[in-house]
Amino acid sequence: MMERIVEVVPDAGLHARPASQLVQAANRFDSEITVGRAGGGDAVGANSMLAVTGLSIEHGESVRITADGDDAEAALDELEALLTTPVEDEEEDSE
Amino acid sequence: MKRSGIGSTPLSGVGTARWYRPGDLTLPEQPDPSAVDSDAEQARFEDAQATARQQIEQARQQAAERVGEDEAAVFEAHLQFLDDPQLVDDIEGAIGEGTPAEHAVDDRFGEAIAQFEGMDGRMAERAGDLRDIRNRLLRTLLDVETVDLSALPAGTILLAERLTPSDTATLDPESVAGIATVTGGRTSHAAIIARSLAIPAVVGVGEELTEIEAGADVLVDGESGSVVVDPDEDERAAAGGVDAPVVEETVSTDDGKQIEVAANIGGRAELDPAVARGADGIGLFRSEFLFLDRERPPDEAEQYDAITTVLEAFPDDRIVVRTLDIGGDKDVSYLDLPEETNPFLGQRGIRLSLEAHSDLFETQLRALLRAAASEHGDDLAVMFPMATQIEEVEAAIERVESVAAELDGEGVDYAMPELGVMIETPAAAFLADSLAARLDFLSIGTNDLTQYVIAVDRENDAVADYHDPLYPAVLRAIDRTVSAADGNDAWVGMCGEMAGDPDLTELLVGLGLDELSMSAVTVPAVKQQVQQAATDAANDLAADALACETRAEVLDVLDES
Repeated sequence: MMERIVEVVPDAGLHARPASQLVQAANRFDSEITVGRAGGGDAVGANSMLAVTGLSIEHGESVRITADGDDAEAALDELEALLTTPVEDEEEDSE
Repeated sequence: MKRSGIGSTPLSGVGTARWYRPGDLTLPEQPDPSAVDSDAEQARFEDAQATARQQIEQARQQAAERVGEDEAAVFEAHLQFLDDPQLVDDIEGAIGEGTPAEHAVDDRFGEAIAQFEGMDGRMAERAGDLRDIRNRLLRTLLDVETVDLSALPAGTILLAERLTPSDTATLDPESVAGIATVTGGRTSHAAIIARSLAIPAVVGVGEELTEIEAGADVLVDGESGSVVVDPDEDERAAAGGVDAPVVEETVSTDDGKQIEVAANIGGRAELDPAVARGADGIGLFRSEFLFLDRERPPDEAEQYDAITTVLEAFPDDRIVVRTLDIGGDKDVSYLDLPEETNPFLGQRGIRLSLEAHSDLFETQLRALLRAAASEHGDDLAVMFPMATQIEEVEAAIERVESVAAELDGEGVDYAMPELGVMIETPAAAFLADSLAARLDFLSIGTNDLTQYVIAVDRENDAVADYHDPLYPAVLRAIDRTVSAADGNDAWVGMCGEMAGDPDLTELLVGLGLDELSMSAVTVPAVKQQVQQAATDAANDLAADALACETRAEVLDVLDES
């Protein structure tokens, strides 16, 4: 099993579109993927929208993502990229 | 068979009854597990999932076409909830143990909804998403007819317990021949939107409306406030409607006092009826409707487009845009407005624009100042809602000036629109003098002014009788406002429902209003009344009404005129 700690960059945190994109991405890989707060607490399956949004993780928090399977490294790369990219247009909202 | 309610849009229409029952999803009693065929239930569940998936994909496509990809993204999340492994595994597990599909769905989704509801603002919204998906599944499982409000067949008479403003805004006036609801008052926002769309409507009919069956022939008479099943020829012919001929040009009283008769609109759909009925411009553009039912606020470019579209529809007439007026009963989910015990006395209108949402206000002002410099922008006017203090108005003017300076610095074209304020609180009426001295115009919003002067909730049926601008206290507040405007070279208009009542036109002319703005549907009838009025007689009528001490006396004075 591989894991990585990542800071959540999108303004919306792990809600709405970022959460939706994470679940979509997680479902593309064969590996079993979990996500949870880096500081502790339960990790949940990243393939469940219900579980991921239920974590209520906000912008700026650090999360631990784990992946177990043949494509674990590729999965972590993609999820990390997703969580560290500000959602486009998001900055316009705060103008 | 005739039922009575409150006439809301004074037009009538006949059509086929269709019930909109979004909440009617009562489950049958749960049978003993031994009596349940789990395989059959599993197949029913999968079938319901497939139907829901198809509906959500269709909704996503429609949203993408109508409002843009951003707003369509919410349906992405709906699809993920629908296929969520936690939910699906638990539901299938319960079905395997002898729970019927609808109970398994209702139980598991109910649990998830409760869990999200217990969390803060943004999470509570997810509860709304889950409820939406659960209802889609249950509608298929319980074989409840689904009604897509935006795609009703032509000739529909829509019956409902109540309609929300967003329900009403999705209706197509071409296909909806009428609306009748069990609850609701004349000045609820849903009723106002129906009026702007010129859809005949009767609200507050009461429980007896529910006796009308889908498929029945129904007449909705918004003039008399009646709903008739299987109307005969006589009843059809007697059905009312303010059908005065359309007058395109600006009208004057018979001795030459010109009165602008304008229309109130919320969005693009209401623009065509306003043009078709000969409105002299727009006296109230409720810009907040650009902000409702979406995931994020409209950006400057989108707002600029919306404003210039309205300016182009009325190239020679004034367009009055009210800045964002949310709060009260108009919630905007993505703004995370705090829940308030008394939202009508809370953070709404200019209060939000100057404080918590000054960023939205500045974006809106940029769009407005740029639109004022567009081809037909000369007649653009901007007004601020819910002002109660001079400080607020001065701060708002300062914001306008700083936005102008910012645009200037960027080398962007802009112009200064006329600036005004809504008079809708006793505070504003008392301060009308000082407000008029600082602004170009005042516009009286009689729905809220009545609500706040009389201290009566405009959405509460139990006190509907108190919500009448003909109470002397309200008339005197109006009079005070008009005098203040006159004494300060400001023009004064009225954009509440009172302005659209043709029976009151003479009184309003006498009170000295320069402009009357209303739902498009009554524009022709009010123009006709203006043309028939004589200024002297109108002035006498107003003086008599202002001398009254009770509403009964006011009604007598009006009856005698």
